[in-house]
Amino acid sequence: MSGRDRTDGATRASSRPPTDHAGLEVPAPTVAFSAEQLGEVRRLQGLYPDRRAALLPVLHLAQETFGYISLEVERYVAGLFDLTPAHVHEVVTFYTMFFRAPKGRHVVAVCHNLSCHLAGAPAIVAHLQGRLGIHVGETTADGRVTLQSVECLCACEHAPMMQVDDRYEFGLTPEKVDRILEGLR
Amino acid sequence: MPKLTINGHAVEVPPGTNLIEAARRVGVEIPHYCYHPGLSIAGQCRLCMVDIEKTPRPTIACNTLAAEGMVVATETDRVKETRKSIMEFHLINHPLDCPVCDQAGECWLQIYYMEHGLYDPRMRDEKVHKPKAVPLGPHVMLDAERCILCSRCVRFCDEVTRTGELGIFDRGDHSEIGLFPGTELANKYSGNVVDICPVGALTDRDFRFAVRVWYLDSAKSVCPGCARGCNIEVHVNRRRPHHNEGRRVARLKPRFNADVNRWWICDAGRYGFAFVDDKTRLVAPARREDGAVGDATWEEAIGAVAGALRRFAPDEIGVFASPKMANEDLWALRRVLEAPGIRRVAFRVPPREPGDADTLLIRSDKNPNSHGAALLGLDGDGAAILAAARARQVKCLWVFGHDLLAGAWPEAETDAALRALPLLIFTGTNANATSERAHWVLPAAAWVEREGTYTNFEGRVQRFRQAVEPLGQALPEWDILGRVLRALGVEVGATRAERWFRELAAAVPAFAGLTYQAIGDTGAVLSAPTAGHPRSEPASRTPLQ
Amino acid sequence: MTAEKILTRNFERADSHTLTAYLETGGYTAWQKAQTLPPAAITEEVKQSNLRGLGGAGFPTGTKWSFIPKNHTGPVYLVINADEGEPGTFKDRYLLERDPHALIEGMLIAARAIRSATGFVYVRGEYVEPYRRFSTAVSEAYDAGYLGKGFDVVVHRGAGAYICGEETGLISSLEGKKGWPKLKPPFPAIKGAFGAPTIVNNVETICHVPHIITRGAGWFASLGTKTQGGTRMYSVSGRVRRPGVYEASVAITLRRLIDELADGVTGNGRLKAVVPGGASAAILRADEIDVTMDVDGLRNAGTMAGSAGVIVMDETVSIPEALMVVARFYAHESCGQCTPCRESTGWIYKMVRRIVEGRGRKDDLDTILDVARRGAGTTICAFYDGAVGPYISYIEKFRGEFEALIDGAGARVVATPASRAATAHA
Ligand SMILES: Cc1cc2nc3c(=O)[nH]c(=O)nc-3n(C[C@H](O)[C@H](O)[C@H](O)COP(=O)(O)O)c2cc1C
Ligand code: SF4
Ligand code: SF4
Ligand code: SF4
Ligand code: FES
Ligand code: FES
Repeated sequence: MSGRDRTDGATRASSRPPTDHAGLEVPAPTVAFSAEQLGEVRRLQGLYPDRRAALLPVLHLAQETFGYISLEVERYVAGLFDLTPAHVHEVVTFYTMFFRAPKGRHVVAVCHNLSCHLAGAPAIVAHLQGRLGIHVGETTADGRVTLQSVECLCACEHAPMMQVDDRYEFGLTPEKVDRILEGLR
Repeated sequence: MPKLTINGHAVEVPPGTNLIEAARRVGVEIPHYCYHPGLSIAGQCRLCMVDIEKTPRPTIACNTLAAEGMVVATETDRVKETRKSIMEFHLINHPLDCPVCDQAGECWLQIYYMEHGLYDPRMRDEKVHKPKAVPLGPHVMLDAERCILCSRCVRFCDEVTRTGELGIFDRGDHSEIGLFPGTELANKYSGNVVDICPVGALTDRDFRFAVRVWYLDSAKSVCPGCARGCNIEVHVNRRRPHHNEGRRVARLKPRFNADVNRWWICDAGRYGFAFVDDKTRLVAPARREDGAVGDATWEEAIGAVAGALRRFAPDEIGVFASPKMANEDLWALRRVLEAPGIRRVAFRVPPREPGDADTLLIRSDKNPNSHGAALLGLDGDGAAILAAARARQVKCLWVFGHDLLAGAWPEAETDAALRALPLLIFTGTNANATSERAHWVLPAAAWVEREGTYTNFEGRVQRFRQAVEPLGQALPEWDILGRVLRALGVEVGATRAERWFRELAAAVPAFAGLTYQAIGDTGAVLSAPTAGHPRSEPASRTPLQ
Repeated sequence: MTAEKILTRNFERADSHTLTAYLETGGYTAWQKAQTLPPAAITEEVKQSNLRGLGGAGFPTGTKWSFIPKNHTGPVYLVINADEGEPGTFKDRYLLERDPHALIEGMLIAARAIRSATGFVYVRGEYVEPYRRFSTAVSEAYDAGYLGKGFDVVVHRGAGAYICGEETGLISSLEGKKGWPKLKPPFPAIKGAFGAPTIVNNVETICHVPHIITRGAGWFASLGTKTQGGTRMYSVSGRVRRPGVYEASVAITLRRLIDELADGVTGNGRLKAVVPGGASAAILRADEIDVTMDVDGLRNAGTMAGSAGVIVMDETVSIPEALMVVARFYAHESCGQCTPCRESTGWIYKMVRRIVEGRGRKDDLDTILDVARRGAGTTICAFYDGAVGPYISYIEKFRGEFEALIDGAGARVVATPASRAATAHA
C-alpha cells in the first residue's frame, strides 16, 4: 500500500481509499515517492528553465501514485519544489483534474456542454446516476466509479460523449453506457 | 522624465511612474483597491480606470506608465460609469453587513461606494457563502465573505516577507483567500496585512471590536522596539476610555517613511505597547527603607537624588543610562553627570539572548537609541561599574530603565553588586527586579506620553510626539533630570524637550544644525555619516491613501 | 472553394501519425528548405501568406513573430497552444492524433524564424491519447535527428482549466502556477514564458507553416480572402447530419459549410441558430448565415471566427436553455482573478438558470444585458468578452423565447430524440 513500493501495483492499490479489514478508513500512510520516481521528478524539473514548471507534471505523477492529492501529498510536493504548501494548494484547487479526496477506481466524466447537451447529455447523466445509484460528484460505495459532469471535452462531433479514465467514449446511448459500465471493474 | 497632463494639470514624473502615482502628484486620487505602491501590480480590482486620449476604452491606471504627451482624464462620464459598474461587481457577493463590521469607518468599499457607487442593489440571488471570523494566526482574523480578492495580503506574504502563507484557492466566484489547512499566519510582520487589506476582511484580533475608529486620535511617533525606529502612528482612545478596558493606546499603525520602514512595521513593534498601560507602571515617586516601600513627593525624591550626588564622591557614583531614553533625556543626563564630574557611566546591558534580526526591518538591538547614547558619550563599561559596586568602590548607582538582573551578566554577580550598594536609584516606566531593589524610584513617562527624538542605527534622528498624558505623576526623564540639575544649583533654561534638543545640537558636533523643524515628520540624518547601509530609492515615496 | 485538403490530406491513412507515413507524403522537406532561408525571410513569407491565428483571436501570424525584439540575446520560447477547450471545437485533437509530425515540422520552421531553441507544447490534460500520440512522434523526431539539434520540444500536460487556452493563462500554467492570465502590457512577445520573449501559436496555425514554405505565400494567400489566406479546419457539431471536422477555405460561407459539408440540419430540419466560432462567438440567426467564415467576414457580421467551432441548432432547440448551458460553462471556468468576470459570470448563470426553471423576473433580461455590457472590455483577459458575446446575442436575438419563459407561457423545449429515449428508459 505504501507509495514507497516501486511496483505498478502500488499505484493501483493506493488509488483506492485506504481501508482496514473492517472496511473502516485508516489514516493514509506517509507519502513519499520511490527513488525511481524521485529521479523522474528531477528529470521533469530539469526540462524547464524554472523547475517550478514541473509542478503540474509532478502532481499528475503524485495522483497516479497516491490515488489523489491529499493535503499531505501537497505538503510533500511543496517540499520537492521549495514552495510553500499554500502555493501548491492554490494550484491543486484551481485545476479540475486533481482529486482532493479519494476517488473511485474509475472516473466517468460526462460532457454537459452545448453540443452534448443538444444531443441528450442530461439524459445520459440521469441514466448514469440511476445505474450507479449516486449523484454527480459522488463515488459508488464499492469504490468502483466516481461520476462527474464536465465541460466540453472537445469531441463534440461524437456527442453525447464522456471520458472514462483515459479513454473517450463516443456517441453515447443508454445501451452503450451500460456496456461501458459493465467493463469497469 | 515624461511630461503628461492629468485632468488638465501638466505634470512631469520620473520614468516608470504609473498613472495612480502621477495623478497623486497633482492631487488627483484615482480610486483603487489592488494597487499598493509596496507590492507588484496585480490589476485585479479593475477600479482604477481612467481615460487616456486616443485609447478606445478606459484603461487601468495602475498598470499604465506615464508616457510623454499622454493626456489622462479621470472624471469623464465614461470613467465614472465604469467605476460605478466595477463597484457593483465588487458588491455582488458581498454580505453588506457593514453595521457590524469592525472596519467601518476605514473601509474603502464603504468609502468608494459612497463616492462612486450608489445604485440600487440588483443582486437578489443567493450569494456565494464563505467562512467568516476565522483566526488566521495570533494577530489576524479573516472574514472571507468581505474579501474583495485584491490579493494584496497574498502579495505581501509572497513579496515582502517571502513567507508565502496565504493563497487564493479554487476559482471563479468560489475563489477564496486562505491558509494551507492547518497552518497559521504567524510571520514577524503579519499585522501589516490588516493595514493593507482595503476592506474589513482582515482585522486585528487585538483591536477587533475594541474601539470604533472614529473615537480615535492619533499622534506621529517612532517605534521604540528596536534600532530601526520605524515610523508609526499611535492611535489613542481618549474619548471613550471605557471602550477598551482603560487601555489608552488602542493600536500602533505604520507611518510611511521611504528611508526607514516604507509601509511596514513588525508585529513585535506593533503589539509591543502593552507596557504603557500595564499594571507594573510606576506612577509615583517611591522610597524603600528597611524593606518597606512608601510614596514620596517629587520634591523629596529630587532632593534625595541631588543630595546623593553631592554626598558621594564622583568616583563613588555609577550611572546606567538607557538606550531607550530619548536624545533629550540623554543630553540632560550628561549635564547632570558633568556637574559633579561623574565618569562611571554606561548604557549597554547585554541581553541574555541575542535579539532576532532580519534583512527587512528587524534589528537585533532592541533599543531605539543606542546610537544616540553612544554619540552623547555614554558608552562606558557597564560590567566594570558593577564590579566596582561589588568591590564597594561604587556606593551609589542610578539605573535608568534596565533590569540589570535580566541581562547576560551572571545573575549572582549582579545580585551581589546590588546588595553591596548603599544607595540604588531607579528611574523608569515600569517596575522590574532591579527597581524592586531600589531605595528611590522615580517614575518616568512612557514614550507615547511625551515627546523627544531617537537616533536610529543609521544615524537618522527622528521625532516622536506626545499622544497621551503621562500616567500618574510620571515625568519625562529630561524633566526629572532638569529638576535634579536645578537642585544641584545649576542654571537650567530648558523646560521643554525642544529646548533640550536645541542645547544638544549646539553642543554635540554630530547633531550640529539639527532642529525639530529640520527633523520634521520623516527624520534627518546626522551630518557625519555613521555606520549605515546604502539604501536604494524605493519605487514610490508616496504613502497609500 | 472547398479547395484541396492540406492539413487533413493524410487523415484517411491509418498510420498517418507515424514518421514513415509523414515522410512518404513529403514530410520534413519544408524544413529542409527553411534551413536555407534566413529567419527574417521565413517570417516575411508567413506575413505575405496572410496566415492568421486559428486559435481564436485571428491575429496575423507573421506580424506576431516580428514582435520578438530584434536585438534580444537571451532565450526565446515557442509555445504551442494545444489546450483546445473552446466548446464546439475539436480540430487540434485531430491534428495531434493524426498528423503530429506536421506540428513538429511547423515548430522547427517557426522556431528558426523567431530564433527559438526550445518549444513547449501545452496539451490539455484531458487529451490523454493525443498527448501520447504526439509524445511518440516527438520521440521519433528526436531519433530521426529532426529534434535535438538546436531545437528541443517539451510536451506539457495541463490539468483541467479552460482559461489555460488563453495565451497568458497558458504561460502561467506552464510556469507551474494556477492559470491566471497575465496583465498586458507586457505582451508575451516581449516578456512571456519564464520572463523571456515568447510566441504562442495554435496547433493548426503552426501546421500550416510547412505548406506555406513549400508552396509559397502567394499560393496560400490565394486560397482565402484578401485579408486572410488559406484553409482552416471547421469543427461542426450540434444538429447536423454529419458532424465532424471539415477543411475548407476561410472564404467558405457558413451556409455551405452546414448544408454541403455537414450535410444539412437535423432535428426538425429547420435551422434556428448557429454559433460560428466556438461558444464564445455571438450567435447567428438562420437568416444570418450567408457570411464568409474568415476573420473579417464574421467580424462584420457582429460575431467572430474564433476557433471555427460551428454549433448548429434547429428550431426545436431552446435558446434560453442553450444559454444556461453556456453561462454555466463561463461561471465554472472564470479563473476568478479579476472582479467583473469573477463576480458576474456566477450571477448571470444564476439568473439564466432561474429563467429556464420558470422563476424568471421581469427585469432579469435587462439586468443581464446591462451587467454584461458594463463588464465588457473591463477585464484582464478576453475570457469575459467571450462570455458577453453569447449573453447579449442570445438574449437580443431570441428575446421572445426568454420572455415567454418569464411570463410562464413557454413550456420547456428540450425534446430531442436522444433525450426522449433516455428519459423513457430512466
Ligand atoms: C478564454 C480564451 C480561451 C482560449 N482558448 C484557446 C485554445 O483553447 N486554443 C488556442 O489555440 N487558443 C485559444 N485562445 C486564444 C489564445 O489566447 C491565443 O490567441 C492563441 O493561442 C494564439 O495562437 P494563434 O495566433 O495561432 O491563434 C483562447 C483565448 C481566450 C481569451
Ligand atoms: S483579505 Fe483583504 S487584502 Fe487579502 S485579498 Fe481579501 S480584500 Fe485583499
Ligand atoms: S522593526 Fe523595530 S522599530 Fe520597526 S516596528 Fe519592529 S521593533 Fe519597531
Ligand atoms: S476575465 Fe475572467 S478569466 Fe480573464 S483574468 Fe479576469 S477573471 Fe480570469
Ligand atoms: S460539448 Fe461535449 S464534447 Fe464538446
Ligand atoms: S488598482 Fe488598478 S486594477 Fe486594481
